[in-house]
Amino acid sequence: MILLTALTVGLIFGVSIYMLLGKELKSIAMGVFLLGHGANLAIIAASESPIGKLPPVLGASGQPTGAEVDPLPQALILTAIVIGFAVQAFVLSLLVLTWRRTRTVDIDELAGPDPATQPQHKDATTTRMHEEQPVPTSTP
Amino acid sequence: MNPHLIILFVAIPMAAGVLNIALHRFKSAQKLVACGALMANLALALWTLSAVYIGETQPGGVLVSQMGNWPAPYGITVAVDPLSAVMLSVTGAVVFGVYLYALTQLPDRFSGGYFHAIYMLLLMGVNWAFVTGDLFNLFVAFEIMLLSSYVLLCLGTTAMQMRQAYKYVLLNLISSTLFVTSCGMIYGHTGTLNMAELTLMSMQGTIPAEAMPAIMLLLIVFGSKTAAFPIWYWLPDSYPTMPPAIGGLFSGLLTKVGVYTMIRTFTMMFGQMPAIHDLVMPIILVSAGGTMFLGVIGAVSSSNVRRILAIHVISQVGYMVLGVGLATEFAIAATVLYMIQHMIVKTTLFLCCGVMERYGGTDRLDNLGGIGRRDAWLAALFFIAALSLAGLPPLSGFPGKLLLIQQSFFFDPYPRLGYVLAALGLATSLLTLLSMLKIWGYGFWSKTAPAVATAPRPSGHLPALATIGALVVLALSVGLAAGQYLKVARVAARNVLDPTEYIAAVLGDHLRPQIAAAKESGTPDALVAAADDAMAAADAGSSVKEVQP
Repeated sequence: MILLTALTVGLIFGVSIYMLLGKELKSIAMGVFLLGHGANLAIIAASESPIGKLPPVLGASGQPTGAEVDPLPQALILTAIVIGFAVQAFVLSLLVLTWRRTRTVDIDELAGPDPATQPQHKDATTTRMHEEQPVPTSTP
Repeated sequence: MNPHLIILFVAIPMAAGVLNIALHRFKSAQKLVACGALMANLALALWTLSAVYIGETQPGGVLVSQMGNWPAPYGITVAVDPLSAVMLSVTGAVVFGVYLYALTQLPDRFSGGYFHAIYMLLLMGVNWAFVTGDLFNLFVAFEIMLLSSYVLLCLGTTAMQMRQAYKYVLLNLISSTLFVTSCGMIYGHTGTLNMAELTLMSMQGTIPAEAMPAIMLLLIVFGSKTAAFPIWYWLPDSYPTMPPAIGGLFSGLLTKVGVYTMIRTFTMMFGQMPAIHDLVMPIILVSAGGTMFLGVIGAVSSSNVRRILAIHVISQVGYMVLGVGLATEFAIAATVLYMIQHMIVKTTLFLCCGVMERYGGTDRLDNLGGIGRRDAWLAALFFIAALSLAGLPPLSGFPGKLLLIQQSFFFDPYPRLGYVLAALGLATSLLTLLSMLKIWGYGFWSKTAPAVATAPRPSGHLPALATIGALVVLALSVGLAAGQYLKVARVAARNVLDPTEYIAAVLGDHLRPQIAAAKESGTPDALVAAADDAMAAADAGSSVKEVQP
């Protein structure tokens, strides 16, 4: 069971790293989300095997019987899922914002000329201070 | 002081942040709430500092509160030891100063709406990282801090800055994932994530060797948060894109949270294990050398004020990481002292840069010049802060640097590495001075640039200068009263190197005999001695081999 979970974690990490190396921001975002799920699964894999154990719920006696699975990794994962949810919401809204501002989600097109390596190019600050770009209100 | 009050470090900013989200249409109410919360936070931090050092508890006491009264290894522990108290106080002062500056200097596009709320939530994350007593809550604190920093980074961005934002966000997301993975692995191997219990286990030598990869993963995570060599690449591109007020806040606080967690993890928690001394400390030391020297070379070669200051963050972090790697009492104390001064001075320099930009319209050194003639006060404040950063004798950078270089010069386990690090530290100081003189020469001293000559006096100039002035006075006090600050820093260092008080306060006094027994069998000093013996034996062995043929 643990071996199977560990192999799945490896597979998920592999797939998510492949997606992280992609050129489109969508694929990169999906890679990050998948990486988070892989981490959660890794915590499960690192805790003891659940086979032959009871769910961590106290019975009528209110006393643990010793046969329950360790509830702490599950509490950790629950917290990590909630945090991951917030992060996903943020990354997706950043993607939408990027599309609205630049009309592209391709990392090479987004890159354009690097302001740091082009001394003739106007500084990023100046652009922001004086040349406010109109922001379209809706995505087509 | 009632120890349960320390949860207010999290509760006050959280309440103010939530209130400010609800108030996002009412700007003056937002400012009032935020100012009140920041003042309360600073007052609480100073009260805690005095309680930890001179109050009811003996010097170096630890304040502990168990959430929901669940006993220690099972519940959520919140603890303030001297190191945390120092960090909380300096953070409180810096955050308050930057906020006052941002009120007048930040353009409306940034400061309207949700800026005030996110600012409070950032403070909540930073404070939580300082007070938390278990590893998983440290992860949660990091996430809150980083999510707020992503939002602050992306406020009012243009297309140009989007790609820098992606770099910062994605790299931090990946290192957060590594963090939570290593938390799970450490739990799997040790059965606990409570810092005090992990410390006790490593003193007793009961942490299994299989946990080592997870601990090394933590080194990568904290190294990238700290921007240590060679995982610093996200910093030089992302920090200069932010407005100076936010950039100053980030470079003052966020990398220092990384250094703090490094001290907490690799000096206190796992520092008692021999494997850490043999394996991790040399890595940290080599990384520190690279961070210091290569960072400052990057700063000397750039020609934007913001970029110079941002890359300097890296090179200064190198000094602190050096102290973590040396791991003697004076080295850790020097690191704490250096963190105190760096948080104040670096923030001050960024705020100065903001006012310079108001004159020149840009931060490119080619287009600045003669600001010293337009604004002598700004020039004077910048001069003091810049020389403090370089570490000239009466100023605040000097005592920390002196101690660190001294400690690395007399570093016993690896003498040659120590000499190299001391030399690198001295060279870095010189180059820091050079890059600061570059800003001084081009920005303040040279012929008045046309943009500077015609620029009107910026609005809200006096409050901004007053804030910068207050921070400079604070920085000066670190330099002039270095003895007092060092005393405080030494108590913090001693408590981290000998965590008896921390463990007893968190897990209960009944464990004291066990802790003492564990210390008998192997204190950090004994480990260093053992390492010395091993080195001497190895040297003797090699010399024998040389003789034989």
